[in-house]
Amino acid sequence: MKKIETNLADLKKDIGAFYKPELHHFIVMNAVQCGDKMEVQWFFNDYAYPGETTCFYALISPEEEVPGMKDIVASAWVAEAELVDLMNIKVENTMKGFVLEPDFESGPLLKKK
Amino acid sequence: MGRQYEIPVGAQHISLLEPLHFKFTTENEKIIRTDANVYYVHRGIEQACCSKFKFRQVSFVVGRVCGLCSISHTTAYSQVAEKLLKLDIPKRAKYLRMLVIELDRIHSHLLCLSHVAENSGFEALFMKTMQYREFSMELLEAVCGNRIQYDFSIVGGVARDLKPETGQLILQRLKNFMPQLEELVGIYQHNRTLSLKNKGVGVLSKDDALRLNVVGPFARAAGLAVDVRNETEDLLPWKEVGFEMITDTAGDVHARNMIRLREIYISIRIIQNIINGLPESALLTETKAFPDGEATVRLEAPRGELFYYAKGNKTQVLERLKIKAPTFSNVAGMVHAFTGNEYGSAAAIIASYDPCLSCTAR
Amino acid sequence: MNLAPYRKKSPWILHYNAGGCNGCDIEILACLSPKYDIERFGMINTGNPKQSDILLVTGPVTKRSRERLVEIYAQMPEPKVVISCGACASTGGVFRGMYNCEGGVDQFIPVDVYVCGCGTRPEQIIDGVVQALAILEKKTKGLEESVKLKKEAVKEGHQLNRRHIADEIKPVLT
Repeated sequence: MKKIETNLADLKKDIGAFYKPELHHFIVMNAVQCGDKMEVQWFFNDYAYPGETTCFYALISPEEEVPGMKDIVASAWVAEAELVDLMNIKVENTMKGFVLEPDFESGPLLKKK
Repeated sequence: MGRQYEIPVGAQHISLLEPLHFKFTTENEKIIRTDANVYYVHRGIEQACCSKFKFRQVSFVVGRVCGLCSISHTTAYSQVAEKLLKLDIPKRAKYLRMLVIELDRIHSHLLCLSHVAENSGFEALFMKTMQYREFSMELLEAVCGNRIQYDFSIVGGVARDLKPETGQLILQRLKNFMPQLEELVGIYQHNRTLSLKNKGVGVLSKDDALRLNVVGPFARAAGLAVDVRNETEDLLPWKEVGFEMITDTAGDVHARNMIRLREIYISIRIIQNIINGLPESALLTETKAFPDGEATVRLEAPRGELFYYAKGNKTQVLERLKIKAPTFSNVAGMVHAFTGNEYGSAAAIIASYDPCLSCTAR
Repeated sequence: MNLAPYRKKSPWILHYNAGGCNGCDIEILACLSPKYDIERFGMINTGNPKQSDILLVTGPVTKRSRERLVEIYAQMPEPKVVISCGACASTGGVFRGMYNCEGGVDQFIPVDVYVCGCGTRPEQIIDGVVQALAILEKKTKGLEESVKLKKEAVKEGHQLNRRHIADEIKPVLT
């Protein structure tokens, strides 16, 4: 697995330069808690043999808003909507309520302090 | 422009195995927009795997993510845990894992085909396919001890050995199944009634498949050659046992049926090769280490690419486990491929996606 | 019209997955297939709650599907029997205590037959369904009895009508 660090400002530029629909496919978007910070990851994989997994990651604080990837990767909205509910991060143009009921406490995957 | 109507399908519907809600906006019977609600079966398995269960128990928990491809989930989790433990497993265990994955693929594909036939209104073919499918369930029971929920892969290897007489039984049953499979291919390919219902329906073009990152038979029917078995060989030696990529170009329901039927031939060949060339070695590698670092694993489940991400912290409990199921990638493509079709064929299209929502929602 | 004999000979089943793993669902589908052939008891899988007599529920009840489950149960006509299929539908199973699971169908609707196993074998499902048939028959009889309000045998020459019964019951109620 190849890991490439990026930050929120350069994120769209980096992924836009990397992602070619005919060469790579988008796997999933993920978030991992690292202390107070949150590591947000975007996984891509090659179509060719031997395929390599590439991971873009950015360390953010929970209040920051992550830019939406929908204009670069058309199918990213499902993963974004899931992370908004499960990890309680903010993503541009994504509402809560796709995974969990509206009356439910958001961010169940976060570790309790 | 005609009047627009909203037609809901689900959460409980005769053509759905699981709760799934589609809201079709139709105009003169043509679907122009679809909204999907796929998270009825969200249970919170990821959170439980990272808090309640120890890392050796998790392989049994993730099997319960999905009953159709439970062996894919347990194997993918075992592999990701082995990567975190830096463990190399015996060759016989790898071969046995591949054997059960391919047997599982046969039963899953036949189930999907029968479901497409039922939803296209061909009840007799549903019964026929289900009847022919039973042999794979009996073989899985003979190999793993249970018809569903095998719990065959564990961290470090496999839980049961394959007896030589079971191997012979599998070969004998596969030989008996071949004429039945040919009969099924004949019906699914040439039957006029089924063709009218399936050809040219639910088309997904190759460009859309690329754009929406579709995986599995859904993508291969559209001409996109994406198969994890073709892309990695470090964990399971697929090419050694005779894997071959199968694609089609039409991208409709009929093409998906044919892809599944042709993949069953490949699965049968792989199973025969595995049993004839099963290496002799131990079944399990023991270790006292704790998972550390992060790792990813990709595996081809019956519905497409299964992706596991795990992060360990040198304790019994994992820090984070992320499961990406095949249908999760296909949701965007599924919603897109309805557009322009008649509402009457929606049930057949849903079945031909072979959606597995318990995988998607976890 | 007396429906009871027909109900016993052709109970229609309704299947709802309240959040399970699909394992029990495919075994229910296998029950409908030629090898196990549940249709020899006159059972047909129907999609309409208003026509069905037996409700087969699988899976631990998730937060989003609980309202649908209760709604489906409420739409079914009396008499009705509920079978919970599999360990997780009966008790919550491995999903018990997960944040989006309620753990067991019987927390929301009354369950008559519990079928154990993970996953449930088709033989067990058939066994459970046959037990449900006996319960259905008993419930059908119970439904007829309730009209007579469990009155003692009527003396000869004495016509009993509903008003008499109501008059007698009234002081008890108030």
